[in-house]
Amino acid sequence: MQLLANIIVLGAIYALISCGYVLIYRVSRVLNLAHGELMMVGAYLLLTTAGMIPNPWIAIPVAGLLSLAMGALVYLLLMRRMTGESVLAAILTTIALGILLRGVVVIFFSAAHQYPSVPLGLHASSVEVLPGARISSLSLVLVVVTALVYGSLFAFLRLSRWGLRMRAAGQNPLLAAQRGINLHGIYAMVWGIAIFTGSIAGMLISLDAGLDQTLIMIGLKAFPGALVGGLDSLLGALVGSLIVAAAEVLLIQYVNPLLADVVPFLILIAMLVFRPWGLFGTREALDRV
Amino acid sequence: MNRTIALAAAAGLFGTAASAQDAYRIGLSGALTGPTAGSYAPAIEGFQLYIDRLNEAGGIDGHPVELIVLDDSGEASRGATNSRRLLGQEDVLLMINASLSSTFAPMMADASRAGVPLLFAASACPAEVFPPAQPLFYCTTAFGAVYDSRATLDFIEAQAGSDISLGLSAMAIPLSRGEIEAAEGLASERGMRPQAPTIVPPPTADYTPFATSISQAGADWVYSWAPWVTEVRTFEALRRLGWEGEYIAWAHLEAEGELARLQDPGFHAIGANSLFAEDLPVHQEIRAAAEAAGATYSPDQMAEGWVAGLVVEAALRGAGWPATAESVNAAMSQLDVDTQGLRGGPIQWSAENHFRATQYYRVYRWDADQSAIEVVQDWTPYTVE
Repeated sequence: MQLLANIIVLGAIYALISCGYVLIYRVSRVLNLAHGELMMVGAYLLLTTAGMIPNPWIAIPVAGLLSLAMGALVYLLLMRRMTGESVLAAILTTIALGILLRGVVVIFFSAAHQYPSVPLGLHASSVEVLPGARISSLSLVLVVVTALVYGSLFAFLRLSRWGLRMRAAGQNPLLAAQRGINLHGIYAMVWGIAIFTGSIAGMLISLDAGLDQTLIMIGLKAFPGALVGGLDSLLGALVGSLIVAAAEVLLIQYVNPLLADVVPFLILIAMLVFRPWGLFGTREALDRV
Repeated sequence: MNRTIALAAAAGLFGTAASAQDAYRIGLSGALTGPTAGSYAPAIEGFQLYIDRLNEAGGIDGHPVELIVLDDSGEASRGATNSRRLLGQEDVLLMINASLSSTFAPMMADASRAGVPLLFAASACPAEVFPPAQPLFYCTTAFGAVYDSRATLDFIEAQAGSDISLGLSAMAIPLSRGEIEAAEGLASERGMRPQAPTIVPPPTADYTPFATSISQAGADWVYSWAPWVTEVRTFEALRRLGWEGEYIAWAHLEAEGELARLQDPGFHAIGANSLFAEDLPVHQEIRAAAEAAGATYSPDQMAEGWVAGLVVEAALRGAGWPATAESVNAAMSQLDVDTQGLRGGPIQWSAENHFRATQYYRVYRWDADQSAIEVVQDWTPYTVE
């Protein structure tokens, strides 16, 4: 039971991060390689708001809104200028953005390991979620938030007018524009939502385990989950993340903990060889990478 | 960090132009940025504060110490670039490494070619500084391979005897794995039942799976010798699983603040630096220097840098004026520095031993009754042979 709980928690962490990769790719066909850095900045936003307003019910929503705005601004001030350029140029721009953000964070927040949970007075306790299986209370919150985020995104994309517009922009931007859809507005919204979900993951991880620049690497470790599931499929991101998490947890327990770092990428390579578009992705989408 | 980055940038841009003819010129390459910077940047800032304070007091016999600080982000390639610049362009008398072990090889090779001494401060002490030491390499860092594990196992044995199941946790980096594997052998020799080491990769989103394997193996005690994040996250994950055993970890820079944050009497930190809770005059001096400079990092994380400052000052004084790399190296090879209570005893170097003649260990934990850090075992000496 403990192993099952561990798989669900790790899968939820990866899924919450990887849905940001998928949303941006699905709608704008840009692979955002600064997602880990933006996620980290979101967590530092929480550190800032927690320092100013030591109340979790205010500090976390304010940091969430700021991260939403940050995502939209990244598109409007930077990625919008990549419109019409090659996909490679856009990807390289996200890499440059990531390097910039790493430096900026050290200058403003130092390299020290910090705890947003301390000013907020939050303390992770141990919770028995299944018979004989315990996780931290903040991990439980993360699992619930991941379920809510995915449920909301599925509903938003399928049922709301803006969701339909997003799907239309992702499937055929030219036709969508001709039908009067404001593509830049859609893209800004997608970037905002994607960075918001990534930042929520960063905030919850940092509330549980503290905050430093290693968060970037955790963001990168979530990427195989998105690719295994299919880079243009939200369901794929969820399933892919659970597969990667299960492989990691079982290898740690039964084979060798060192394999935990390697196997997600081995699964990724195997997937790229045998089914490059992922479990739930579309072959057409991958051709555009 | 603003101050640190500004100093590094200023040194990088104007280091040569701003050089003083009558200054002792030394250079430092360290991880001021990058994922591991948190383990090095506070010590570097402490070292800078010491040098600033030394210069404000008139330098060494009227000669200031010019410190050139370069950031290597913990990357070997940048460490190599920095050492070539420090040796080829800046003509430093002494190089200092405060970074990951991956930066050691290029800096050691360059220092050997140039005949310039290389001091490891805050970074791990390489095998070359232990007896029989190689001529140009020195180390002031508190932790020392194998000695740390020997002292830790002595402590565990004194507390619980040898009939125990011992969990072992390391980070997936050569240094940490090597030390924990050495501890596994030492524990077996004492009749303990060591588990196979649990090796945790550096970027880990959730430590619970690793803690699960330790907990389910029935560890009575767990020993972790790894970067702080691995040590403390593994412990916290174990507690959340309901594990009630005792845990001991190496007391890195972060230890003092973290003992107070965790407030768990079952978490022991073994180290070679005194904690600032002791409030010795040297601690007050560091606090005052950090406050006056508006330091980025907490003073209680600066002991490593301050010890390095004490040693560098003694080495430059011993070298006299005008100093050369040879005279600095000659002074370092017969150094005896009073650490003023930051360590359990002096740092003594000889031609054969560039680590220290005696290594002293203390064990700390949180005292729930007093709501304060307590010393569980006072300074215990180990002769370095």
